[in-house]
Amino acid sequence: MTVPRRRIWTIATAGLCAVLVAACGSSAKHSSSSTHSGSSTTGSSGSSLASAKQLVGAGSTLVAPLMSQWEPTYDQKYGVAVTYGAIGSGGGIESITGRSVTFGASDAPLTPQQAAACKGCLEIPWALAATDVAYHVQGVPNNLKLTGPVLAKIWMGQITSWNDPAIARLNPGVKLPATKIVPVHRTDGSGDTFAFTNYLSHVDPAFKSKIGVATTVNWPGGVGGKGNSGVGGVLQSTNGAIAYIAIAYVLENKFDYALVQNAAGRYPTPGIASISAAARAATTVPKGGTQGISLVDPPASAAGAYPISTFTYVIVPKRSSSPAVAGALRKFIGWAITAGQADGPKLDFAPLPAAVVSADKATLAELR
Amino acid sequence: MSATTPIPSRRFAGARVPLSDRIGEPAFRALCALAAAVAVGTLVWIAETVFDHSGTAFSTFGLGFLGHTTWDPVKNHFGAAAFLYGTFVSSLLALLIATPAAILIAIYLTELAPRIVRRPVAMLVELLAAIPSVILGLWGIIVLGPFLTGHLEPFLRSFLSWIPLFSGASSSGYSMLNAVLILTIMILPIITALTREIFATTAGDLKEGAYALGATRWEMIRMTVLPIARPGIVGAAVLGLGRAFGEAIAVTQVIGNATQIQASLFQPAGTLAAQIASSYQSANPGLGQSSLIYLAAILLVLSLIVNIGARLIVRRFQRGR
Repeated sequence: MTVPRRRIWTIATAGLCAVLVAACGSSAKHSSSSTHSGSSTTGSSGSSLASAKQLVGAGSTLVAPLMSQWEPTYDQKYGVAVTYGAIGSGGGIESITGRSVTFGASDAPLTPQQAAACKGCLEIPWALAATDVAYHVQGVPNNLKLTGPVLAKIWMGQITSWNDPAIARLNPGVKLPATKIVPVHRTDGSGDTFAFTNYLSHVDPAFKSKIGVATTVNWPGGVGGKGNSGVGGVLQSTNGAIAYIAIAYVLENKFDYALVQNAAGRYPTPGIASISAAARAATTVPKGGTQGISLVDPPASAAGAYPISTFTYVIVPKRSSSPAVAGALRKFIGWAITAGQADGPKLDFAPLPAAVVSADKATLAELR
Repeated sequence: MSATTPIPSRRFAGARVPLSDRIGEPAFRALCALAAAVAVGTLVWIAETVFDHSGTAFSTFGLGFLGHTTWDPVKNHFGAAAFLYGTFVSSLLALLIATPAAILIAIYLTELAPRIVRRPVAMLVELLAAIPSVILGLWGIIVLGPFLTGHLEPFLRSFLSWIPLFSGASSSGYSMLNAVLILTIMILPIITALTREIFATTAGDLKEGAYALGATRWEMIRMTVLPIARPGIVGAAVLGLGRAFGEAIAVTQVIGNATQIQASLFQPAGTLAAQIASSYQSANPGLGQSSLIYLAAILLVLSLIVNIGARLIVRRFQRGR
């Protein structure tokens, strides 16, 4: 007697249900107890993403152009695929705290609160760049001279047009139009915001008390863009806009950029020479990977220093999810701070000072 | 056995009930019930998560959060007032423009257009709804922004600048006005489709009666079609409003993401959904994230109220007919 069709369907359905129940049961045992990405988890979720052959990172958009140079080179040389998501320094810190990535990247060093939440993270400076002040105004020539206090007043909304006497005084002989200034800022958590507000707070105490220093601050007006590329987009499409934006994007898009006065009274062109001069002025190199190095507003003795230079850091947990991952991270970061620096100059990343490289190598040895 | 003995309830006398019927029927019922439970459960789960995670912010700020106008992550002062203002102004203005436009389009499609044109034009209007929001946002940045700063804003400013809404020079294409126009394009198809359906069901003899009394076409529409359709149009408009409240991506691309309340439409602004979309990845853990989720809770409550309200109005209208 042939098996009736009905019976075949019954058996098939019963079999499918059994398989589903078994799968649900086993996955319920394996699921981690993390809730949302803000809370720190017990840390094994990163292992599903990383192995010795793959590293996943996220964070700073300032270092993103350099990362996109590093990824194919490193993959070709060592067969390890590095994937990177440029979501902003704040997002990078969030992601590594929640251990959803293997390494985070940030231009802003961890605050004490973030360091505590990250539970034993090391911050290792791995590239050196700057935050430029770029602008897009019809009728204004390139390389306008500006000072820190004037910049602070622009972003606080106290200087509102391009032909303001404060700007005209710094640029004698330049004909400035009466266009309204539109200050542009970052909406996401940004290391460039940190570097820029750090600089403005140094040179203007009113800025420090009104707005403060952080990766996101309460800007009184202006337009917000997401990421360095978002800010670039706003800049390009708005006549009268002025923005703080990472140097690589200014080069790439050929924006007009300002010359910012440093403590010595000079107006150095932002570039490798002036960034390296700022790095040389940093006297202390913190060891142990628990502190950042501030390069903004170097003293007057650094005559050629660009005043809004910034290190950018890779943030890794001291204990990785497995020895294989730790080894892969040590190798990758070790390569980035030595051979990888060669990719920097064409994007206006200055080479790391020797003292910083040796401190980094010592910190890397602590990675387990 | 007599002829009046009832036949036993089995497929054929003496045979077993097949396995597939004994298990299949209840299993099928259980599967359907499970699917419905999962759908309802998801809604409850989302609402529970949102209200739970906003707890820190709620206990710090209470309901005063709705009135605070600062959003300061450095000093940890957060408030939703600027975003509530932006959400209401952008959505209501979009509704104000889209509803009359939708009514006119619906009248054209049901009464005035040649029959051969009706179906294709209706389909094209509905295709507007099929455009992904991110593409509309891109169009807003590339096309609408420069058009606004170059042509529309100077035009409006030239004779309306005495109204605070239209004052203030801004050379940025990222503004409340840009967001209002994008939202108008997004909600137009919904309101038009619903209104067209409502108009199409107007009783034919009412229209004939109006013509018999000597009414012109416009008078007929005004006397018979519009008054009956009014509650339905209100329901459609409220549904469109719900769509406008929740739109995040297109709005955050064009509105400029400001955190202050500004009178002029030519200045950048912020809405609840746009603020969440632009800052969620990097909000400071603790109060920063919790305040963002508090914004989400407010948006959720607003959307639920508007959607339930729309359904009630539409259902009462349908029942009344």
